Amino acid sequence: MLKTLKYIAFSVLLGHLVVYPAFGAEDESSALETYNRAMFNFNSAADYYVIKPAAKGYRAVTNGFIRERVHNFFANLKEPVAVVNHTLQGNLGDSGKSLGRFLVNSTLGLLGTFDVASGWGLANNKTGFDETLAKWCVPDGPYIVLPILGASTPRATVGLAADTAATPTYWADYYATFGNDLEKYSFYYGLTALGFVSIREENIELLDKLTESSVDPYSTIKSAYIQNRLKIAACAPKDKDAEPASYDFDFDEDFDE
Amino acid sequence: MKKILALVFLGFFSIVNAAQALDAKKAEKFVQNVTTAGIEELINSDVSDSERRARFTKLFNEDLDLDFIGRFVLGRYWRTATPAQRDAFIDVYRKLNIQTWSERFNEFKGKHFEFLGTETSKSPDQIFVNTQVPMEEGSPASVKWRVKETNGNMRIVDIIIENVSLAQTARSEYTAYIQKSPKGIDGLISDLKSKLK
Repeated sequence: MLKTLKYIAFSVLLGHLVVYPAFGAEDESSALETYNRAMFNFNSAADYYVIKPAAKGYRAVTNGFIRERVHNFFANLKEPVAVVNHTLQGNLGDSGKSLGRFLVNSTLGLLGTFDVASGWGLANNKTGFDETLAKWCVPDGPYIVLPILGASTPRATVGLAADTAATPTYWADYYATFGNDLEKYSFYYGLTALGFVSIREENIELLDKLTESSVDPYSTIKSAYIQNRLKIAACAPKDKDAEPASYDFDFDEDFDE
Repeated sequence: MKKILALVFLGFFSIVNAAQALDAKKAEKFVQNVTTAGIEELINSDVSDSERRARFTKLFNEDLDLDFIGRFVLGRYWRTATPAQRDAFIDVYRKLNIQTWSERFNEFKGKHFEFLGTETSKSPDQIFVNTQVPMEEGSPASVKWRVKETNGNMRIVDIIIENVSLAQTARSEYTAYIQKSPKGIDGLISDLKSKLK
């Protein structure tokens, strides 16, 4: 399923690279918005009938301690991604720290379920291919809604696909020595699904409140997603004072009364 | 002569800096009071829900400039709105904010705000007070408070959580709604009213 998703993501991406080469994420043509809103409605229905109930079920059968172990386990699998990408961004020191975290937490931290490394002064400092592309001056592209995975942009989609390919469990289905093909795949897909449900569980209240108080949840999520992405440091270190922060907008621009 | 000019120049800048530093301290103190009174004392106390709501209403009306924010979130539609529509919108926007924020602040229960200094705004009467809230897992959540000073009176005009501005997000939501809805601003006002409990 993840592979299919990736193919879909890539074809969506390629389509957008051809059609919208020069637009920033704020720009959304009406054709793209029609697609995005339709996909948003599909995702909301899938969430309502399948994903959120699964997240609630997961919460019902686990306690906070277990959920934190699961969270840490998946977070640890992202360390090799950080090792590679810190290197690609030219931060060898950070790359070494992420490698250290992965080695310590995978062993002493019992397969990553405990974050021992943070206590040793190796603080969590994750990065991914999306940030690498940003550092390389690749533009973000327009806002797109992916099937199931939700809010994204072409650059974020490429980043996600590359990060998935750099995650150790991704290779488990190629090199796993146990069982037959079916067992191998169900192991990998089961793991992927658990990671997904774990993330959804962490956001149950947040998304409930958001949709509860919003008159247009699509626009609310889109706006919040785009603003949050502006955190990612862009390429070519400019003079920081020259450009105001994205949230330092002019309150009075529309009112010349 | 050049040296004198340089000295005058330096002197000028240090005065500007001193004035800003004074303002920044005041703004930080103001936000500290809001977080202590509003979040740490109110959320962590054992008062009844109705009492909590009453105290939140008072706090929000006093320390949050909802007239100013409400005007901004309607964007270009503020200018075309009639005075009655403006009043009705501000009224429902105020109530909705008090409702959602008294609930959302519950998430900060038992948490403590750490103050990380201030950041200037390109608007001369405004400043950002930077805080962070340590989380159980992962890195701390960044919360910035945009403070505006009017006639020596300080009020919050925006809260920026993890780079997401509340005012900007509401503005995107409401202007998109008005643009799509055949009932325009009136449709927005009645839909917002239906969100009130």
